[in-house]
Amino acid sequence: MALLKISEPGEKSAIPVHRFAVGIDLGTTNSLVSTSSGQDTEVLPDDAGKYLLPSVVQYSAEVDPVVGKIAIAAAINDPKNTISSVKRLLGRSIEEVLAAPQFKHYDFDTERTDSIPAIITAAGIKDSVQISADILRTLVDRAEKFLGGKLEGAVITVPAYFNDAQRQQTKDAARLIGLNVLRLLNEPTAAAVAYGLDSRDEGNVVVFDLGGGTFDVSLLSLKKGIFEVLATSGDTLLGGDDFDYLLAAWIKSEVSPTTELNSMEEAELLRLANLAKHQLSDQNETSLNYLGWSGVITRAKFAKLCESLITRTISTCRRVLRDASLSVEEIDNIVLVGGSTRMPLVRDSVAEFFGKVPLTDFDPDKVVAIGAGIQADVLIGNKSVDDFLLLDVNPLSLGIETMGELVEKIIPRNTTIPAAKAQEFTTFKDGQTAMSLHVVQGERELVSDCRSLARFELRDIPPMVAGAAKIRVTFQVDADGLLSVMAEELSTGKTAEVQVKPSYGLDADSIEEMLSSSHENAKEDMEIRALREAQIEARQLIDAISSARSIDGQLLIAQEAMRIEEVVAQLQLLMEQGTSVQIHELTEELNRLSSEFASRRMDLHIGEALRGESIDEVEQ
Amino acid sequence: MDLEKLSEKYHARQVEVHPDKFSGATEKNKLRAVQLTSYLNEAYSTLKSPIKRAAYLLTINGLNVESVSQNDLGMDLLLEQMQLRESLDALPKDESALTTLGHLKSEVGEKLNLKQNIFSREFALGELAQAKRTFHELQFLHKLLLEIESGEEQRLGY
Repeated sequence: MALLKISEPGEKSAIPVHRFAVGIDLGTTNSLVSTSSGQDTEVLPDDAGKYLLPSVVQYSAEVDPVVGKIAIAAAINDPKNTISSVKRLLGRSIEEVLAAPQFKHYDFDTERTDSIPAIITAAGIKDSVQISADILRTLVDRAEKFLGGKLEGAVITVPAYFNDAQRQQTKDAARLIGLNVLRLLNEPTAAAVAYGLDSRDEGNVVVFDLGGGTFDVSLLSLKKGIFEVLATSGDTLLGGDDFDYLLAAWIKSEVSPTTELNSMEEAELLRLANLAKHQLSDQNETSLNYLGWSGVITRAKFAKLCESLITRTISTCRRVLRDASLSVEEIDNIVLVGGSTRMPLVRDSVAEFFGKVPLTDFDPDKVVAIGAGIQADVLIGNKSVDDFLLLDVNPLSLGIETMGELVEKIIPRNTTIPAAKAQEFTTFKDGQTAMSLHVVQGERELVSDCRSLARFELRDIPPMVAGAAKIRVTFQVDADGLLSVMAEELSTGKTAEVQVKPSYGLDADSIEEMLSSSHENAKEDMEIRALREAQIEARQLIDAISSARSIDGQLLIAQEAMRIEEVVAQLQLLMEQGTSVQIHELTEELNRLSSEFASRRMDLHIGEALRGESIDEVEQ
Repeated sequence: MDLEKLSEKYHARQVEVHPDKFSGATEKNKLRAVQLTSYLNEAYSTLKSPIKRAAYLLTINGLNVESVSQNDLGMDLLLEQMQLRESLDALPKDESALTTLGHLKSEVGEKLNLKQNIFSREFALGELAQAKRTFHELQFLHKLLLEIESGEEQRLGY
């Protein structure tokens, strides 16, 4: 094969295999999927030409879950089976969820207190991971239909301020449908990539990302293709939804403060509030009609209602500046991300705080998905026009419980990831043979104020006097921001290890099913991959022979030429219909047939080279 | 320390070792990339921070910065520290304390700068025992600064 290439100096040595990878923005309100071809990254539309897939799933006993716009329409009449804002359930305990007003019209399975929140629907009990997986599946189907092939991987974005449990559950949702996660990418970082690669601007950039249910602020330094996150902060329970709830509560108080609403009235009220919020982005006031009551809300009144939410967002901006040790004046640009930044109230407040008009060149709904698509293209190994690198941070401090229920921070917040840190601890009782380790995440000093991530035990420590044993605890945070912890007793080398993972509420059968289905997918993936490789190998050889013949055709005797043409024709047919093994075997056959021709060409070209012509081509 | 130059070198190394550059590699090489990058990140954060850099410089010169004896610390320093800490505790727990905290912060910050310069001089002259003593003073001040900052954050409601 290599020999045949000598006369094609301009030809690329291999046809790059384009592998299918996508970026997925799994949002609270809407989700998107994008793909990059190296040059361009596009958000993929559905059959109706719509880019945004509403993150709403309707379950019914008869048919598969319905995801998107149709499900929204169903929410009014079937509120208990139509789940929206599932992202706000990720990583939460059932107690937290039951206490939250926005989920009160769902029937939660309150028996499962030790596992993740699950809703009782007409299609059975569905937990937050399964519901998220149903949204992901719709996006994957859309992408595979568009690309005409199976996806090999995806970059899924998560709010920068997501904790370990929320990240892990996002990854679990992908695993549930056999989707290979190339990376969990922080949403503001994804937005910065899309913005930075497009504008080629350098300097300090603040990404202000107010989505449907989550809020992030990240401060990045952009320099020569390096996107370095200096600090990030946020609130995973603050988003556009909260503006709706406040407005809904106000309408309710105007209409009839004491009446209890049923779940259908509740859903209708929320829909009305959401509509009014959107209208107030384009006009100064809007009229409201609810249960026979009619009224008007102005922008000013709306701003007053939402003042506390705005204050929280600006306070987060301050904190990020503080963590990065930068002042407002040192910020070169502000990028707005998330549908909620369309509210003039939000834009004006951000502009006022930074003393600069935020950039609005990008569609705030699409920019995260675009950034994720670009990163997916790079991570899957497709050629990228832009050589860039993302350096992200962990949003929350990671630590371990020590005596007195205090937290010893091992990896502080805003540490660049991947990060590893070891710390030594010792026993506090004579003859102590086991040590219980409690891993927590958060900024506060008391364990009870932080989020518990995992507990594990290191046993069989040789009995020693208190303080003599040395236990080294190593924290490792990977590029997805996920933590694993290892403990080792140094005198014996006894180890204990835990991949920090909150217990996932699947029964044994579903885990079995999940694993076997992803195994099948993997097998299928490998076969498809092998077939593509064989097809490309064959295509390369056919192309090479044909161009060699056009140059040195006189070196081929008629009989040889006929035989080669015959095999080429067979091979072309096989490429369409054959298996990878068949294609590979015939390619080898063709290679053998043409090797004589190749060596004759070699002799000729070496001869030419020895006569003083360029030898460069031989090295191709 | 030229932080600009340090950052440039750090970025150049990142391009070589970051896991994103090894996404198609074997599991073993991927893991290695994660470990190397973790190590690089740790190195950068050590060099970037004056206090961590000082500890590192002493450690590679054979001094154990983990062990602190009474002789390492002057009595007057300890007294001063106690006073500062007491005044910190005595502050009201609401926003009204922010101005005082701001003053304390710049005061401690100035002291830190001063001690850092002293450390550099001592270290350059090879007076390692003296430098270690200064380092422990730096540690105290640094800890105090962190406490002031966390006091600010609590009062700001972060």
